[in-house]
Amino acid sequence: MKMSLSWLRRYVDINVPVEQLCDKMIMSGFEVEDIEDRSACMQNVVVGRIVKLEKHPDADKLQICQLDVGGEAPVQIVTGAANVFEGAYVPVALHDSRLPNGTHITRGKLRGAASDGMLCSGEELGLTESDYPGAGVYGILILQAPQTPGTDMRDVLQMNDVWIDFKITANRPDCQSVLGVAREIAVALQVPFHPPVPSYTVKGGNLTDLVRVTVEEPELCPRYMGKAVVNLRIGPSPDWAVQCLKSAGVRSINNIVDITNFVMLETGCPMHAFDLRDIAGGRLTVRRARPGETITTLDDKPHALTKDMLVIADENGPSCLAGIMGGADTGIKEDTTGVFFECAKFARASVRRTARALGMRSESSARFERGVDAGTLPYAIDRALQLIEQWDAGDIVDGTIDCCPVPPQPRTLTVQAQRICDLLGVQIPTAEMTSILTRLQIPTTEKDGVLTCTVPTFRDDIEGRADLAEEVMRVYGYDHIVATPLRGETNRGTRLPERRVTDRIKALLCGLGLYESKTYSFIGAHAVDLLNLAPEDPRRQEIVLRNPLGEEYSHMRTQLFTSMLNVLALNLSRKAAAARLFEADKVFIPRALPLTEQPDEVPALCIGLYGAQEDFFTLKGVVDAVLTDCGVHGVYARANEPFLHPGRSAAVTDEAGTPLAVLGQVHPDVAEKLGAEVPLYVAQIWVRPLVQAALARRVLYQPLPRFPAVERDLALVCDAELPAAEIEQTIRAGGGKLLTGVTLFDVYQGAQIMAGCKSVAYRLTFQSSEGTLTDAQLDPVLEKIFKKLREKGCQLRG
Amino acid sequence: MREKVDQLRQTALESLKQLHQPQDLENWRVRLLGKKGELTELLRGMGALPAEERPRVGQLVNELRAQLENAFAEKQKALQNELRRIKLQAETLDVTLPGRAAPVGGRHPLTLVQEDLCDIFQSMGFDVVDGPEIETDHYNFEALNVPADHPARDMQDTFYLTDTLLLRTQTSAAQIRTMESRKPPIRIVCPGRVFRADEVDATHSPVFHQMEGLVVDKGITMCDLKGVLEQFAREIYGPETKVRFRPSFFPFTEPSVEVDVSCSACGGKGCRVCKGSGWIEILGAGMVHPRVLAGCGIDPEVYSGFAFGIGLDRLATTRYKISDIRLLFEDDVRFLAQFEGGKQV
Repeated sequence: MKMSLSWLRRYVDINVPVEQLCDKMIMSGFEVEDIEDRSACMQNVVVGRIVKLEKHPDADKLQICQLDVGGEAPVQIVTGAANVFEGAYVPVALHDSRLPNGTHITRGKLRGAASDGMLCSGEELGLTESDYPGAGVYGILILQAPQTPGTDMRDVLQMNDVWIDFKITANRPDCQSVLGVAREIAVALQVPFHPPVPSYTVKGGNLTDLVRVTVEEPELCPRYMGKAVVNLRIGPSPDWAVQCLKSAGVRSINNIVDITNFVMLETGCPMHAFDLRDIAGGRLTVRRARPGETITTLDDKPHALTKDMLVIADENGPSCLAGIMGGADTGIKEDTTGVFFECAKFARASVRRTARALGMRSESSARFERGVDAGTLPYAIDRALQLIEQWDAGDIVDGTIDCCPVPPQPRTLTVQAQRICDLLGVQIPTAEMTSILTRLQIPTTEKDGVLTCTVPTFRDDIEGRADLAEEVMRVYGYDHIVATPLRGETNRGTRLPERRVTDRIKALLCGLGLYESKTYSFIGAHAVDLLNLAPEDPRRQEIVLRNPLGEEYSHMRTQLFTSMLNVLALNLSRKAAAARLFEADKVFIPRALPLTEQPDEVPALCIGLYGAQEDFFTLKGVVDAVLTDCGVHGVYARANEPFLHPGRSAAVTDEAGTPLAVLGQVHPDVAEKLGAEVPLYVAQIWVRPLVQAALARRVLYQPLPRFPAVERDLALVCDAELPAAEIEQTIRAGGGKLLTGVTLFDVYQGAQIMAGCKSVAYRLTFQSSEGTLTDAQLDPVLEKIFKKLREKGCQLRG
Repeated sequence: MREKVDQLRQTALESLKQLHQPQDLENWRVRLLGKKGELTELLRGMGALPAEERPRVGQLVNELRAQLENAFAEKQKALQNELRRIKLQAETLDVTLPGRAAPVGGRHPLTLVQEDLCDIFQSMGFDVVDGPEIETDHYNFEALNVPADHPARDMQDTFYLTDTLLLRTQTSAAQIRTMESRKPPIRIVCPGRVFRADEVDATHSPVFHQMEGLVVDKGITMCDLKGVLEQFAREIYGPETKVRFRPSFFPFTEPSVEVDVSCSACGGKGCRVCKGSGWIEILGAGMVHPRVLAGCGIDPEVYSGFAFGIGLDRLATTRYKISDIRLLFEDDVRFLAQFEGGKQV
């Protein structure tokens, strides 16, 4: 909340420089978001009186002014403005001056005539009509006479103030007010706090003759207070009050409206002013809106109301949205003669819900949402009436309306002083505690180590020991907290097995030359369309955010492919010749849609590659490395994924058939959509089965072979469609225990090989733990392999 | 005879000096020390000597043989060394030529920061746990002392999926799950992804990362909180780092503090990095609110605890001086290769 230093000084004797004040406040819990020195933006601009005005000899539209700026000799300035006249008081930017818009003014010559500065318009001084009369006029700002030439313009404009923007935490609604902050400053600086003491004289009449109020919903409106003022003398507010309002970003309207705003900013209690003429039937009812009711608010916007919304209604229907905004036709007008002031507490949840539902937010609703203290309302309304009297704005009618079934009472808390010290770990003298709390207006006494605290109604955030500890500590000073090492039973810290295995996989992938990428967990509403998935594909069953930042970020991903493909496309578009990437993150698989319970958050791993060195088999090599490292043997079969190349994609399962991964070259249709002219390769691996396998893996040492291995090469011709995996399986089936290795080293199709066939070559390794194998031992084994191969339709070559 | 021996010695050693090729050296050996070599000839010539001189001359010749054999061996060694030297010289490489690229990749900067933190806290006896990213209103708000319609909900703009399910706005949700499933003493950290409806810009991302810490035991004080955070801060920001507590508000801790560390750029004197204050805000923390403890079935009269939440993205961007948080989620390989690995791509 922004407030001016001079406003604060009305209630507290600030005896330190502003920087020091801010430091103190920061250390007692009030962060300072901004300090705006109002005087810094304007320098060397003074009041000048035009003593002589002549036409410029060489320019029709220019005039040469001689100005009295308080010095001995007049200053000469050339101006192009037409509205100046001899005897006028004007703002003069002298040589080497600075204006709020950043302009630096220096002396110069205009058409040969010396000009020692510049006369300023209202706009050039950053002023509008509401800041200073005449500031909106086209031309030089003519100041109100009389003025003293040479006076600093900042004094004329009351710009010698400092505006401080305090960040008020959500637990301190009482400090959404100048008085609240002033009270805290008084405690922090240990100086007196002197809030205004409201008093006024009533001028007769009887409030109940004018207005009667019924509260139908005391739950939603725990207190409703009202006062009336007649014979209004509507006019401008005093300058100092206008400046106060301006510091809080509130524009001055007239004295009556200004009083409601001033009191809200000063006390934190929002007020509303009804034109007495507009209270139909002289009755106001605080009730829920009825079906079909509407209201047009002050900002001329119509709203349809529901029964969840609280309104202040007269005989004609709702005239005010409780705590949020008044109706367009019940506000103060130029000819208003009588006013009814409302000062109420509306329940924060109700105001919050209504404000949200209608998309409205006002200074008033913001305060109600955080919480307004019912106990402060009498003070606030009395303060408003005091200002009415002081500003001579009207005659106060006798009588007060106060609908308050349960008057707020201060609460009494008792707590052992030692328990506070125990929580903080700091031994604070009991006398110090009682002193701090009492200064915070929580009167506290101590007896036998027990503190008895009377918590005022405006501090309903204080509920117990922990809250009191905080109050004491923030004033006593957090620098008294001394770092101590953790004591007590110590355990070795652990990481979850899932995390350990994932970390290991990440390290492996990095070793294989992949970089880790991270992308958002939500993707576009249509992002998944990139994958050409069938309508019934479960990956289309995405959880949808109710309030996404935009369509681009609205669906929780069920797969990592789309994110990875977009990352690959981005790198391609930035001319990266090659990329090897992986992302390890959760995908969100709903158990039912619409969502009824938390979904399954499934850890997945996505790999994406492109570049001159990459092909299907480099991708497969990476996938295999991950599987092997976790102790899994992957079984590859052709995949059927609409976004992958039909002939260059595979689905991987473990030997039991559990799906482990899908991998392949991206379908050219998909690559085209991404603008990719080179082949892209992607894989997605499910992490859970790998974690299970890795954890289940029990390694036992195998003795190293003592006898040399024997190798035999084998060349076959077979049907081109026969998968290599099947050939290998056949060889292994025939080779039995002695066959320890099968390595494919050549595949050939073309000249010398019959069309529709291929030639494949394997190196077989045989080894025995009992001795070096002889031909006699090997021949029958080879014969068996040949036989099995022939059964598969393979012919041996040469 | 003696002259002959001396002469032979002189010519032999002289000629040995001139040799540079292994074959010449071998020829030299054969010519002098071979079966039909000059020394053998000399011995044979001894037959013409008187018998009493023979032993003396024999000794002279044998001495010469030993001398020549030594000289040969030395020369052979020198020659070998010389040849090795020439060969090595011929094999000399320009070691500044680029190496043959081995695959090098690397983890994401956020992972690096997260792993460092996990290591630090694990070494202090914290378990690293995990929690769901789609949370219930209960775990994300209610149990953390933020009831419905409480103004504290405005502190975080929440993505909702249903009336009761949401994307967690804070890893603090893991506090509750931990306290419900474990009994004190509890020491956990929970790193993970969190979500808030912040428009994307250079310093805001709707997806970011936090690490929550929680300690619950008998007699835990705010001084213990400072002790743990000071140790953490010193590991991350350097051994001279100071920690400062500043009062703040979080619904689930009381007292609550913002935690600042002394600015490592200026050592606390005040500079541009710390905007002149000498301090940099790094995290929020506090003593677990008694209502939060009680809600999890932990008696606040017996136990106390503290909690803290560290923003990992902020830590990564300050550590690596990354000017725009969006770079973290864009995944340009030229960016990713700057942290680990470093292959030129």
